[in-house]
Amino acid sequence: MEARTAYSIQYWLESCPQGYLKGTEYGHERGAKEPDFLLENPVLRDEAIGTTVQLVVGERAALAASSGLINAAPDAASKDFLATQTLDEARHVEIFTQRLFDLGVKRDELESTITRLANPHLVRFAEILLEKVDKKDFVAGVVGQNIVLEGLAFSTFEMMQTANRDTNPKFARTLSGTIADERRHVGFGENRIGSLIREQPEKKPEIERMQKDMAYHMLATFADRFRGQASAMREARRVVQEQASRAGAAPKSHVWHGTDLSNADASEMEAVLADTVLKEFKTRLARIGLEYQSPERP
Amino acid sequence: MSLDPGELHGRDHAAFLREVHSFEFWFQSVEGYLHGHPHGVSPDAPIPELDAARRQALIATLSTYCVGEVAALEGSSGMIGFAPNRPAKIFLATQVVDEARHLEVMLHRLGELGVEDAEASFEAQSNPHLLAFRDRLLRYVAAKDWLASVFAQNVILESMEFAAFHTHMRTADPRTAQMLGGVLKDERRHIGFGENDLGRHLARHPEARLRLREIKRELDPLVLASFEDSLEQLGLPRSERPEVGRLYLESVARLGLDT
Repeated sequence: MEARTAYSIQYWLESCPQGYLKGTEYGHERGAKEPDFLLENPVLRDEAIGTTVQLVVGERAALAASSGLINAAPDAASKDFLATQTLDEARHVEIFTQRLFDLGVKRDELESTITRLANPHLVRFAEILLEKVDKKDFVAGVVGQNIVLEGLAFSTFEMMQTANRDTNPKFARTLSGTIADERRHVGFGENRIGSLIREQPEKKPEIERMQKDMAYHMLATFADRFRGQASAMREARRVVQEQASRAGAAPKSHVWHGTDLSNADASEMEAVLADTVLKEFKTRLARIGLEYQSPERP
Repeated sequence: MSLDPGELHGRDHAAFLREVHSFEFWFQSVEGYLHGHPHGVSPDAPIPELDAARRQALIATLSTYCVGEVAALEGSSGMIGFAPNRPAKIFLATQVVDEARHLEVMLHRLGELGVEDAEASFEAQSNPHLLAFRDRLLRYVAAKDWLASVFAQNVILESMEFAAFHTHMRTADPRTAQMLGGVLKDERRHIGFGENDLGRHLARHPEARLRLREIKRELDPLVLASFEDSLEQLGLPRSERPEVGRLYLESVARLGLDT
């Protein structure tokens, strides 16, 4: 497919809102609800709110970045694509914000909840990206947004989607739609930026430094989140096992990149997510002619 | 076709924002008139044969419209970064896609009219007054001046486009008219957002009216000169031109800025 077609509003309309989102409401089946075991258990509900806040923080950054890059885009096809991405990211902000409301966050406490629970490393990760966007640095902005941030989101959503497939179909369906969006976004980053980097090789060191800084703060976010989640994970497993035994069935396994998410402990979960994201970074950066820079391990 | 400001302004503000400034509302709104209409027209709509003079006039007019749509795309996307709240950011994100779609369907129509690389040539063909307007709008956006940006973008530019497209539809060939009809439906939502946002701001800060009047005084000559040139190109009789100005001024007057 030609770039002009693949990046067009027409293609996006037919594949996304008129395609995989058709018939959905806030990204899930109409009328679907968060499971009772989650809403009624304060440990699990708080953990779900904490996780969803990180998703909102990431998506707000993606919305600011994709919209901020439109004026810096060098051609109409890129502007069109970023316009569709802007609305995708706005939709993600909307559906994850709605999930916070579904989990019981009051509307007038939304901002204070986000401020209180946002991981400071994730906030810094977003700031590094938005500094490039503010300078209208299109190439660095697209690498930071469509390779690094979207690569992070893509793998994180995939892992969460796998883990929630049987226990929370509403959230898993919401994540499926965002994964489909992120796949398009990552593809744009790879296809469009490779040629621009070949034209401006002098930009490589600065972009690689940005990638290294962003990767460090990403790993630090993972470390904070997983290490703080250990007790909630144990509680979630206890509840799932209790439900399964009541139904007379064994809990299902959910294998993702070789790790059974139903049994893995927090450090194993952190390791599989970090390794998967970093491996994806290396592959995708190499495709556009950049060399992956290893950050320090937090 | 006329706007119904009463309907927009009569609603409770929080409920209005929740309902209207959402992806869900946007999709429900556009689905009806975009589904099955690739590039904004029914696949059955024939491509009309136009004589050389009419074809050339339409190319020049659509080129000018493209400049307006690029201005709106760059303006609305730039405003997301400093919009005051989440619903406003989400509404502007829907507007960004609308504006990009308008540009896309107009470039497609230019292609049907035989323009080989419409994207590369539309700016050279377009109206200089509108180019000047775009520069002014993008300066407000670059300065992160919310009040001036919403006014210039969602009230003045959108009202100008609404009036121009509405008038053009009456004399356009059926395919162009159908395309403009879909664009007009989007513009009504965009004007509604601007009127609602500014209307409520002015109710709390009536002193801001003075500043908006100054901006309007500065931009009106560019708007009216753009109209004059475009309508001349389209061959609209001089007697009908005041009607376009009236449609534009009516929108602005709803904010109490007509004097």
